[in-house]
Amino acid sequence: MSILRQGSTLIASVHTALDDSELERFRTDLVAQIGEHRSRGVIIDVAALDVIDSFAALTLRTIAEMARLRGARTVIVGIQPEVAFTMVRLGMGTGSIPTALDLEEGLALLTGGVDDGRRRP
Amino acid sequence: MTRPQSADGADATASAGPLQEADDLTELQAIVRRVVGARVGTHPAAEDLVQETLTRVLAAAPSVDPGLLEPYAIVTAKNLVASMWRDDARKRRNQHRAADLRVPESPEAQALLGEERSAMASALGRLDEHERALLIEHELRGTDTRTIAEEEGTTPGAVAARLSRSRARLRVEYVLGLESGDPPTDRCRPVLLALSAADRRRQRELDAATHLFSCDFCGRLSEPLLARGQRQDGVLRIPVAADPDIVKARGSARELAGRLGFSRTDLTVLATAVSELCRNIVRFAGSGELLVELLDEPRPGVRVTARDRGPGIADLEAAMRDGVSTYGGLGLGLPGVRRLMDEFAISSEQGAGTTVTITIWGKDPST
Repeated sequence: MSILRQGSTLIASVHTALDDSELERFRTDLVAQIGEHRSRGVIIDVAALDVIDSFAALTLRTIAEMARLRGARTVIVGIQPEVAFTMVRLGMGTGSIPTALDLEEGLALLTGGVDDGRRRP
Repeated sequence: MTRPQSADGADATASAGPLQEADDLTELQAIVRRVVGARVGTHPAAEDLVQETLTRVLAAAPSVDPGLLEPYAIVTAKNLVASMWRDDARKRRNQHRAADLRVPESPEAQALLGEERSAMASALGRLDEHERALLIEHELRGTDTRTIAEEEGTTPGAVAARLSRSRARLRVEYVLGLESGDPPTDRCRPVLLALSAADRRRQRELDAATHLFSCDFCGRLSEPLLARGQRQDGVLRIPVAADPDIVKARGSARELAGRLGFSRTDLTVLATAVSELCRNIVRFAGSGELLVELLDEPRPGVRVTARDRGPGIADLEAAMRDGVSTYGGLGLGLPGVRRLMDEFAISSEQGAGTTVTITIWGKDPST
């Protein structure tokens, strides 16, 4: 995985399948970097994940909630169609975290802020 | 360095002229030495080449026109040098063939061989008379099945089937002989026999997989028996003991199921379910194993069995309800897996472990 900074936004990309301890480390790293860079937005790119099971979904939700408490908004981008299907069947989702099709859309969502209002709980 | 010398040689030949008296051996020798020297330099074989050339020239002298003796000597020298290089190159090319790469036999190997022989002898001793005679006739004497069938008045197919049963028994008795001990339970021998014969129906009847998992003796002995047959069937046995195993297991399951031509969605569904089951093993039991089997009846499918010898689940009904969780998850592990799969079965005994079996069938492309 890699975490890049663009302006006040952090872009975290997952490149390979992560096991549970790696997911936890990813969460810790990311939340620490939000404080370090005083980020206002976080984009998590999960396009490379071929499986998002209950633990991965829970981790993503935890990251988003922790980021919110630290003053940053999170957008998840790049969920593959078959992964989305499985998540629905499994009965879990990303909850109230906004999502976008890809990185570009995610950035637009964070910077535009127009259609963002209705997505917030 | 060698070039001017070789030019010298050529000049010398030219200036000496074919018409001059070349009978003088010393003069001839000097020319040959120059020619050889120009080609091989200070090679240790240089003098040998010169002498060899002179010997050949002298031997051929009576049949060569006296005036042409000198060019004849020069050509002979050139040819000898060329064949020396050629021989050298061939030797170098083939040098590796001469190396003896076999490791000298060690005393341990001798002891092991003796052990194997005695195990084989005791295994043969445990077979009944007919089986032994058949194996010896076919494997040692090389009599083919048709001849044996004619002698006994049966068909070659029947003989082949009996041979394969005898071999399966011999394998079981052989590993038992190596272990030099009797199996701990009555079920061990039939289970090992079914495994050795790769008889899937018999294995199911005996519930071989459960026995292997609970009996350490058979678990150990079955390894060489299973290693034989594993490749031909679509069966995969994956030990699960730590976080990284979860990722590995779902990758392997996906790969195996990929052979059936499952859609990407089905593969993802399967991998996700495997991931949930493996996580339960790691979290609650510490370790266990995953068995992935390809099915072909009534249509292509994959069956995954996750087994552990952990503490078991106290309240199965509650565990299968959405929203009940004993750790920090969403409480969706098992009910979620049941929703993902076409078939789902769970059995759990407190203090003895949990077994979950899930099946996913390939979707008919026409519907």
